[in-house]
This record gives sequence, C-alpha cells and structure tokens, in this order.
Amino acid sequence: MSELLFYAMCVIALLGGLGVIFSKSPMGSVLSLLGSFFALAVIYLLAGFHFMAAVQILVYAGAIMVLFLFVIMLLNLGALGTRFELSAAPLNSTRSRIAASVAAVVGLAGLIAVQSASLPRIAQGGAPERVDDINQIAIALFGRYSLPFQAVSVLLLTTMVAVLVLAKRRTRESGQ
Amino acid sequence: MNVPSEHLFFLSAGLFSLGVLGFLVRRNVIVTLMCVELMLNAANLAFLAASRMHSTPESLDVQGPVFSIFVITVAAAEAAVGLALVIALYRLKQSVETDSASEMKG
Repeated sequence: MSELLFYAMCVIALLGGLGVIFSKSPMGSVLSLLGSFFALAVIYLLAGFHFMAAVQILVYAGAIMVLFLFVIMLLNLGALGTRFELSAAPLNSTRSRIAASVAAVVGLAGLIAVQSASLPRIAQGGAPERVDDINQIAIALFGRYSLPFQAVSVLLLTTMVAVLVLAKRRTRESGQ
Repeated sequence: MNVPSEHLFFLSAGLFSLGVLGFLVRRNVIVTLMCVELMLNAANLAFLAASRMHSTPESLDVQGPVFSIFVITVAAAEAAVGLALVIALYRLKQSVETDSASEMKG
C-alpha cells in the first residue's frame, strides 16, 4: 500500500516539475512547484524522514513559495493574457534542442551512476522505519557541525542585509 | 515501505534534469529561480536517500538530514537574494525576461 503511494507521489513530483517548465503563467509554475514540494514531503514521510518532511513543508511550501507568490503579485505577473505569457523558447528552436540535450545527458548520467555504483547493502532487510532522529540531528548539528552552523547563520544575516540594500528604492538625496 | 533506495535516486535524477531543462529553456527569471529550487530539492532527496541507504535500526546515519538542512538554509537565502534581484531588474527594465538584460553580452 505504501509502495503504491510512493510511486504515485513520484509521478506527482515529476508532473509538478514538468508543470513548472511548461506552464504559461508564472502563477501556474508556482502552483506546480508547490504540488511537487508536497509530493516530496510525502515521499520523505514514507521513507522514514519525519522531521525532514515537516521542514520541507514549513520552509519550502510555507516560506519560500510565499516569497515567490509575493514577488509575482507585487510585479503583477500572475494574470493570464499579459505580455509575460509564453516566455518559454519555442520548442523547435536551437536553444530548446540544446537545453533538452543537456537535461537528457544530466539525467542519464545520474541514472547510470546509480546503476553502476557499488552502493552499500547495509539495509538489506529493509531500511529502518524512522531514519532521522531529532536528538541525533541536534547533537550532530551543534557538535560536529557547529562551525558550518555558525557560517550559515552569518550567511543568513548577510542575506538579510543584501536583500534590504537591493530592494530598497534609491532616493535622489543619496546621489544614486 | 519496502522501496529500494535506488528508486529515490532515480526520482532525484529525474527532478534534477527537469530543473536543468527548465533553467535553460525558460526566459522568465522567476521561473528560472523556481527551477533552481527544483534542482536543490533533487539534491536534498539524494542526500536523504544516501542516509537511508547507510542506516540500520541500530545506528542511524544523520549526516544526510544535517546536510539537507544546510541545503534548505542556503536555498532560502538564494531565493531571497534572487527575488530581490528580480525586483531590481524589473525597476530597471520594466521586464523580468532574461533577454532584456544583455549589456554584458559584448
């Protein structure tokens, strides 16, 4: 039963990815991406990553997608029939052919790498039901990985300042 | 769930190549950023699949979740800066098409 749900969610995630590319309006792309993220959250749940599923929904579906929706509505790009429609390259153009070839090569390289790699067979009798234990994650994050953790917090502070500088409307008095 | 972890890797490869395709085909900057998010999600899925593959009920492997938390943080920062750049581009060009900004084309 859960295997069936897993493969159904795989199909939904891939269809969401296709919807991002081929949707005519940016709003359609955002909603397809949202569907893809939710399908991935269900996959994480089925694969035993309960905490990561919650993080996926909170951060990706909750925060990042709201940011995208906010910018699309701020710039008024969401409506169909505007000049932002059909901004994809025509399917028979050289650009599209090159893009499709590159994507196919990347995907095939991934598939061949997984097939040919000598992957470990530790979890032969089935993976454990619950893979991410919050206590162990916290111990790793604040112990062994405390330096990257602090680097990431500095990155977030820098991002906040950078976004303020970029999005601030420049006034004439500042001489810009 | 008795799905082998290889199938998670296959889904990850599929999502990543869809992200590459969209990144190269679309001209709308916002959709391009969304395709980058899709690729980062595929990388997350690969990290988690590797973690699941290395875990046994006795000893769990937490490096996959830890790294995907870092990836999610960087993705959030990237989305914020990218969308601020989109707003700046729209103010300058009244457009969000990548072809509208070609001053450095040479």
